[in-house]
Amino acid sequence: MKLAVFLPELLRHLFKKPATVDYPFKKLAVPADFRGTPYLSPEMCIVCRACERDCPAEAIEISSVNEAEKRFKMIIHNDRCIHCAQCVDSCPTTPKAMKMDSLFELADDDRHKLKKDWVYVRAVLKPKAAAPATPPPAAEPKA
Amino acid sequence: MSFQIPIGPQHPALKEPISLRMTVEGEVITDVDMRLGYNHRGMEKLAEEKSWLQNIYVTERICGICSHSHATCYVQGVEKLMELAPPRRGLYIRYLVAELERVHSHLLWLGVAGHEAGFDSFFMYTWRDREIVMDLLEMISGNRVHYAINTLGGVRRDIDEGQKAKILEGVATLRKRSEYYFYIGANEPSFVARIAGVGYLSKESAIALCAVGPVARASGVARDVRKDDPCAVYGELDFEVATADTCDVLGRVVVRVKELLESYKLIEQMVKGLPAGDIAVKAPRKAKPGEVVSRYEAPRGENIHYIKANGTDKPERLKVRAPTLANYPATVEMLRKGFIADIPLIFAAIDPCICCAERTVTLVAAGSGEESVVRMSDLRRQALARHQNAPVKRNAVWPL
Ligand code: SF4
Ligand code: SF4
Repeated sequence: MKLAVFLPELLRHLFKKPATVDYPFKKLAVPADFRGTPYLSPEMCIVCRACERDCPAEAIEISSVNEAEKRFKMIIHNDRCIHCAQCVDSCPTTPKAMKMDSLFELADDDRHKLKKDWVYVRAVLKPKAAAPATPPPAAEPKA
Repeated sequence: MSFQIPIGPQHPALKEPISLRMTVEGEVITDVDMRLGYNHRGMEKLAEEKSWLQNIYVTERICGICSHSHATCYVQGVEKLMELAPPRRGLYIRYLVAELERVHSHLLWLGVAGHEAGFDSFFMYTWRDREIVMDLLEMISGNRVHYAINTLGGVRRDIDEGQKAKILEGVATLRKRSEYYFYIGANEPSFVARIAGVGYLSKESAIALCAVGPVARASGVARDVRKDDPCAVYGELDFEVATADTCDVLGRVVVRVKELLESYKLIEQMVKGLPAGDIAVKAPRKAKPGEVVSRYEAPRGENIHYIKANGTDKPERLKVRAPTLANYPATVEMLRKGFIADIPLIFAAIDPCICCAERTVTLVAAGSGEESVVRMSDLRRQALARHQNAPVKRNAVWPL
């Protein structure tokens, strides 16, 4: 056994740059597939409600605004969202109507300000996909 | 003369709430009483109200450090219930993340052990190096802590060549660092002197008290689910079960450093031998009635999930036995005859994850020690009544 075997390592660190970054002024880049915040591209959404059904945090709320016009409203409660991206996986459209961006600085002084909503007309993609209407079993992963 | 010292539920030496009552004679602990339940979150009840798919994310949140182990344990069980066979590439990625998680958890623990032994520079270096593996995990899964890589029937994300190269590069750096820590551990006399002989747990008691994970392995019991009951990919990989026979905190450090080296070996094998193919198969929404017990070697020891299905899209029952719970009886044994000053070190050496192990709560009357069960609605009524009957403190002033 020797004394102070750790000493060379300690001394070496005197001449190194800090391992941390100056956070609010400098930011680390997030990786390409970072799971940030979910957002909707309303022009793609067929209102199949797969995302609403599979969201583990009940963060997605879809309600009908006008039945006749097929106008719907989606609210994403970012204060409940756990950023798991299951909604993106569940979304059956291509390209996906639900996507994740790379935002991670979401803090606000009131949880209700974190809500995001979209009011839109249900998209009808391809003639064949004549919009599997509201009831959930129309979604892709079926029993 | 013997005294009782309460440690916790809130105590600077503890990172999570648990109540340890030490009966001491002088400096020596003669008896230990543990009280759990301060961090009960009702996870099992919650799981009964979520679908099979949603429950992956619920189980993932049982623990913040070994999040992947709970999710994997759950997913393994549900896949057995649904009779799904995940593709091999999916399994490789799943257990690759599992080994990366073990690396991050052990590095974290090494730092904590250094900190509890008063070796804070060690703590800072291990935690700095832990960032390498955290970044790898973030790159693979999109998140540092809750990887959410598992899904029923496989994994959710694939790994490409660039990521493979980065993993190998990161692991090479980490191996070098871990070998250095091993050298430090063996050669820094003050560190070794602080942890050698502390928290003795004989091989016989480790077996009798059903210790799991590194605690059992440091007492010479080669118990590892990955070897004993090789699930999925572990049967075809080459690794050894790390053990030590000093039966003390030193042994637990040695076991974990050795396991780090074994994990690097496993990661390299998995990355290099990653089979081609799909990463997941489609899962049904419902599971046939049945029950299953799923085991998984988490960084802290054997993790067990019991899952019962009743034919619907939700589990009827999910029971989680976190490894920390299995190690509590052994901890009592380790603390006995120890010194008061060793409590944080011994307790930290089981790598406790207290709130993962909280499955019930009991109400104990502070005065009489009587235990009772109260419904939530009664508790609420009592709280309201107490609030209404309490006299208003009119002359209370803000002290500044
Ligand atoms: S990311 Fe997860 S929690 Fe957030 S809205 Fe999507 S499914 Fe729900
Ligand atoms: S899953 Fe996609 S298409 Fe369906 S409602 Fe959600 S965002 Fe719209």
